[in-house]
Amino acid sequence: MKAGYKLFGFLAVFYAVVDIVYWQVGGDPLGVTAIALSGALALTIGFYFWATEKRLGQQPSDNSEGEIADLAGELGFFSPHSWWPLPLALSACTAGLGLVLGWWLTVIGVGALVVSIIGFSTEYEKPGLQAH
Amino acid sequence: MTTFAEPVISSNPSYGVVAPRGQSKGRLFVKWITSTDHKTIGYLYLITSFAWFIIAGILALALRSELARPGLQFLSNEQYNQIFTMHGTVMLLMFATPLFVGFANVIMPLQIGAADVAFPRLNMLSYWLYLFGGLMAFGGFLSPGGAASFGWTAYAPLANSQYSPGIGGDLWVIGLALSGLGTIMGGVNFVTTIFTMRAPGMTMFRMSIFTWNILLTSILVLLAFPPLAAALFGLESDRLFGSHIFDSANGGAMLWQHLFWFFGHPEVYILALPFFGIASEILPVFSRKPIFGYKGLIMATIGIAALSVSVWAHHMYASGQVLLPFFSFMTFLIGVPTGVKFFNWIGTMWGGSVTFETPMLFILGFLVTFLFGGLTGIILASPPLDFAVSASYFVVAHFHYVLFGTVVFAMFGGFYFWWPKMTGHMLNERLGKIHFWTLFFGFHLTFLVQHWLGIKGMPRRYADYLATDGFTTLNTVSTIGSFLLALSMLPFMINVWISRKTPKVTVDDPWGYGASLEWATSCPPPRHNFTSIPRIRSERPAFDLHYPHMAHTDGGH
Repeated sequence: MKAGYKLFGFLAVFYAVVDIVYWQVGGDPLGVTAIALSGALALTIGFYFWATEKRLGQQPSDNSEGEIADLAGELGFFSPHSWWPLPLALSACTAGLGLVLGWWLTVIGVGALVVSIIGFSTEYEKPGLQAH
Repeated sequence: MTTFAEPVISSNPSYGVVAPRGQSKGRLFVKWITSTDHKTIGYLYLITSFAWFIIAGILALALRSELARPGLQFLSNEQYNQIFTMHGTVMLLMFATPLFVGFANVIMPLQIGAADVAFPRLNMLSYWLYLFGGLMAFGGFLSPGGAASFGWTAYAPLANSQYSPGIGGDLWVIGLALSGLGTIMGGVNFVTTIFTMRAPGMTMFRMSIFTWNILLTSILVLLAFPPLAAALFGLESDRLFGSHIFDSANGGAMLWQHLFWFFGHPEVYILALPFFGIASEILPVFSRKPIFGYKGLIMATIGIAALSVSVWAHHMYASGQVLLPFFSFMTFLIGVPTGVKFFNWIGTMWGGSVTFETPMLFILGFLVTFLFGGLTGIILASPPLDFAVSASYFVVAHFHYVLFGTVVFAMFGGFYFWWPKMTGHMLNERLGKIHFWTLFFGFHLTFLVQHWLGIKGMPRRYADYLATDGFTTLNTVSTIGSFLLALSMLPFMINVWISRKTPKVTVDDPWGYGASLEWATSCPPPRHNFTSIPRIRSERPAFDLHYPHMAHTDGGH
C-alpha cells in the first residue's frame, strides 16, 4: 500500500509537471487535457491507497519480516466456478452487434444484459452462502 | 492446439464447491468455459491469442505473396487494404495485447504467492469480451462489403461512413470497443491483485521483475484504453448517427490522430513491457546469477511508464501540426530507460555461467532483434530523418523489429521456459533449436531488406509497384523470408504435440536455478497454487528455498 501511494503519487506529480511544460510550450488542447486526466487518474488511485493504508495499517505483505502464517485462516472468498461471465459478455456483444444489424437486436441484447448483470452481481448473495 | 494436463484439485472447503469432477469431454468443456481459475483463464488467453497469431500470420503471407513480383496477381486493391488492416488489428489487439493478459494470468499470481487473482469472475468476463469482440471485428470478412479497410489506425476522414461504407468498418469499431473493455478489466484486476494479494514478506521490492512489469503495464492499460474507447465511440457515432466529431471541417482529422496515438503509443509499451519482464525472468536462470541492478531495472520501467504519456505525437511528425522539439526530446528521453534495461540484461549475463537452452536462445534473439528496432527508433525520433522515410517500408521494418523482436521472440522464450510449469511436460530441446534458428533467419530475411526498400522509397500499404521502380529483388527476398518464418511454426507445433507423451516433470524447478515463487510449487500447480509457500526474504524465494546455504536476506526495503 505504501509503495502504491508512492508510485501513483510520483506518477501524478510527474504527469502534472509534464502537462504544465507541454501547455507552456504551446501543446495542443487535447494533449493537455489527456495528460491532465492521466494525472487525475494516478492521483485518485494514489489517494485511495493512502487512505486505505491509514485505515488498515501495515499489511503482512508489506512487512519484510512477514511469515506465511500471518495470513492463516480465512483468506477471502474465491468463486469456484461461474456461468455468469459468459451470458454477460454474450449479451453485451449482442447489444453492440445490434448497432450494426438493427435496433431490434440491441433491445434484445440490452434486456439480456440487465438480466446477466443482476445474475452476475447476485450470484453469491443467496441465503446460505452469507457465511462467506 | 493442445490440451493441458488437468491439475489435481486440492479441494479446500472454505472456497466452496470445486468444479464438476470427471474427465469426459463435455465435462471438461463445461469446466473450462465456467472456470474462474486464473491459470485456466490464462491458458484460454494464450491458446486464443496464439490462434490469432497464426491467422494474422496467414494474412501476412497473403500480403507478402502479392508483393513478391510487380503487378497484381491474386488480390484486388480493396482486398489488399482489408488484409493489411486486419493483419495489423489482429496482431496488435487480438494477439499481442491478450498474450500479455495470458502470461500475466498464468504466472503473476504464482510469483506473488496468491491463490488466484482478485476478481476471478471479472477475469473470465474479460476473456469472453476479448474473444467475442475479436470474432466480431474479424467477422467483417463475412459481410457483403468485406472487413474494415482503413488501416489499423482508422484515420479520419478515411474511416467515416462516406469513404469506408459497409458494416465491416462498424463491426471493427464495435468489436474493438468490446475487447478493449475486456482489456481494461484485466488491467484493474492485475493492479488490485498485485497490491492486495501478495504473500506475507513479499514486499513490493521483492517482487519479480515480470510482476513489476505486469503492474506497470496494467497502469498503462488504465491510461491508454479509455481514450481508445472514447475515440471508437466517437467514430461509431459519426458512422451511425452522422455526428461530426471527426469531421475534418472542424479539426476532426487531427482530433482523431491525437486521441488514437494517445492510446497507440502507450499501447506499444503495453506490448513491450511484459515481454521485457519475461526476458528478465529467463536471463538470470540461464546465467546462474541474480538479475543485475534489480532496483535500477524497476526504476527504468517506472520511467518508461511515466514518459509514455508524453511521446504520442511522434507518430504525427508528418502532419506538420505538432510540437516537434517537445516530442522529439521526449522520445529521445524515453530511449534512456530502455538503454538502462539493455545494460542490466547484459550485466546479468556478464561473468555468469551462461548456457544456451531454448528459452535463453529466444531471449538472445529478442535482445539482438529489439536492439536493431531500438536503433532505427532513434533515427525515426529525429524529425528531419523521419520526414525522409515516414510512411515508407523503413517504418514497417522498424516496428516489426520492435514488436516481433519483443513479443514473438520473448513469447516463445516464455513458452519454452514455463511449458513445464503450465503442462507438466518439457518441450524438446532439439526441435526448439530448429524452431529458433528458422524463426531467426526467416524473420531477419523478411524484414532486414525492408529497411532498404524504405530508403529506396517504397511506400507502405501499397498493393503494387512497377518493375521499373527497382523494388523487385528486395521484395522477392522478403517474401521468401516470410515463408521461411511461417515454416518455423511447424517445429513448434510438432514439439507441442509430442510433448504430451514425454515423461512428467516431477520436480518443482526443472531448470534448476529458478528464482521466483512459481518454481516453489508443483508442475502444474494445484487449483489454488500452493500447498505450502516458503518464507520470503529476498527477490529470489524459490532459489533461497532450493539453495539454503546460499540464501541471503536483503534486510527489507
